[in-house]
Amino acid sequence: MAGKEAIDDRLIRVDMTTQSVSVVPFPEGWKLLGGRGLSARILLEECDPSCDPLGPDNILVLAPGTLAGTSAPTSGRISVGGKSPLTNGIKEANSGGNPGQHLNKLGYRAIIVTGQPADSGRRWGLSVSADEVKLVEADALKGRWNYACCEELTKTYSKNASFITIGPAGELRLTGASVACTDQDSRHPARHAARGGLGAVMGSKGLKYVAVDPGKSRARQPGDSKGFAALVKKFTRNFLDGPQMFQFGTSSVVPVANMLHTFPTRNRVSGQSPHAESLDGKRIVESFETRGGGMHNCLTGCVVKCSNIVHDAEGKYKTSALEFETITLLGANCDISDMDDVADLDRLCDEIGVDTIETGAAIAVYMDAGEMEFGDAEGAKRLLKEIAEGSEIGKTIGNGAAAVGKRTKHHRVPVVRGQAIPAWDPRPLKATGVTYATSAMGADHTAGLIVNPGLPEDQWAQASQESQLINAVCDSSGFCQFMTPTLDDIRQFYSALFGEEITREQIADLGWQVLQDEWEFNRRAGFTAADDVLPDCMAQDPIGPTNAVFDVKPEIIAQAKVRMDAREELFSTKATG
Amino acid sequence: MPRVMIPPPYRGPTQGRAELTVAGASVRECLNAVEAECPGFGPLVFSEAGELQRFVKLFRNSEALAHGALDAPVADDDEIAVVAAIGGG
Repeated sequence: MAGKEAIDDRLIRVDMTTQSVSVVPFPEGWKLLGGRGLSARILLEECDPSCDPLGPDNILVLAPGTLAGTSAPTSGRISVGGKSPLTNGIKEANSGGNPGQHLNKLGYRAIIVTGQPADSGRRWGLSVSADEVKLVEADALKGRWNYACCEELTKTYSKNASFITIGPAGELRLTGASVACTDQDSRHPARHAARGGLGAVMGSKGLKYVAVDPGKSRARQPGDSKGFAALVKKFTRNFLDGPQMFQFGTSSVVPVANMLHTFPTRNRVSGQSPHAESLDGKRIVESFETRGGGMHNCLTGCVVKCSNIVHDAEGKYKTSALEFETITLLGANCDISDMDDVADLDRLCDEIGVDTIETGAAIAVYMDAGEMEFGDAEGAKRLLKEIAEGSEIGKTIGNGAAAVGKRTKHHRVPVVRGQAIPAWDPRPLKATGVTYATSAMGADHTAGLIVNPGLPEDQWAQASQESQLINAVCDSSGFCQFMTPTLDDIRQFYSALFGEEITREQIADLGWQVLQDEWEFNRRAGFTAADDVLPDCMAQDPIGPTNAVFDVKPEIIAQAKVRMDAREELFSTKATG
Repeated sequence: MPRVMIPPPYRGPTQGRAELTVAGASVRECLNAVEAECPGFGPLVFSEAGELQRFVKLFRNSEALAHGALDAPVADDDEIAVVAAIGGG
């Protein structure tokens, strides 16, 4: 029973100062918490918000969503959390792949990594199975790119094991570094908890990988198994009978975004690209016929299957998944027009372990500052290799857009709290801009995306708040945002999982608590309302036929952080990210 | 008269309106009527060749219409929902 299992659930605590591991009971009071919500609670209670993000006092949290490991469709995502070295605030980055559900099936609700080894040159791996949890020496994997690292790990661990790794960028402690998780089928490190530099935090702890072997562990058993099974059937059927807009991946969004002037081009001087046709996701789908590849799901039990497997012109595997944000920031935003070049860049980012959004934004600032020509795809690839080599320019690029802006003294650096603005542009999408300004995550579209250009001004704050709350619950649940669950969906699943009624009030309170925990962490880290702003370039550089700028009044932005009465839309609006 | 449900990404031309009641005997006529009332909507759903944009899906009374079914008949009390891909990581 889930209720009993919650009592039997455990936490893995890893102290990298002493290289010791302990397994302790999961607190009963945290039963509903998972993923992002669990990470926020742990960090608020145990991490000093004023700490050095790359020092021993920061904490790295790896927390599967509450539903991960159950039979709920597309529910196995994992949250990686810590104090971000990029934003200097709290950060949660969310990833697909199988590690999340493997951990939960084993009853491990989170891994909490503290401390720091005395010898910064050493590397360790954490091996997790039903029989034991232990640290193993991993110096032989030092500096390995992610694909080679995972290939090596497949020789050591069972064919069912999944892996969480960092690449050279994380080991170099670069603030754009990501944490990679392996796909459920190929075990390629193609899923990334990318935003906010948490790969650097993992690297600062000397942890090169986590291997999770689920063994013969079974799916988590709900308290109301009949009710849960009925929900799974209904939810899956409703999804499959619906529009399934990501059937061919998020790359299919390119033409819509371009039409809405939110396909940033040349460091965001325009919202439309002359290369929208060549960068349209349709090109990837067309390539399946001649090159092979196709669509698949990144985690077991996913019914969305939005991940593409992209092959090169010779029919060999190149990368997975080539997504809308990557195509935008590494493609249009750098004025790189060839999809094959963008695929190469995506693969390099995954190998080296950097966020494609942050890296694309960094390269675009570098180009805009005159250091490199816009459209120089080969130059961009060279820069990525320099990240891995740890050269001076490589480290600057690997540290993200703000670092490049500082080095070049460029005037147009589109970041919020140090984190690059994603593809969804706040100038035509003002409610989304309110999210970027107010979310503790910095500029993060998955924190609360509202694509509604016609939304009146008096609804921006409420739309942002609702979207932030909904996505906070979604990211805590383990559901993928592309499964588009509502708060009502999630609370019904929780009710069946725990065998007790979870009310609308409880689920809304859960979401609001996550936001409050995050805001409170940031307040203690020194952030104030004065930081809830977008960069000057978003207010000064117009785009689109209406010359849109981000001109949302501070008092409207502030409203998004004052809890509003719940309306029906809060419970019936789907998560969007 | 039939109702056309407008997805959030396309509510710029409709000035935020989520629903329009229009005259039309077919899906195409209804969508053209929306464009006539809200200029700028048309290019979001129709290609230059007058076909439905690839990334748009249509539902009539909650049932999915085949992609080329722009000439499907519409009754007075029908509801046409336009759905567009949004979001993307």
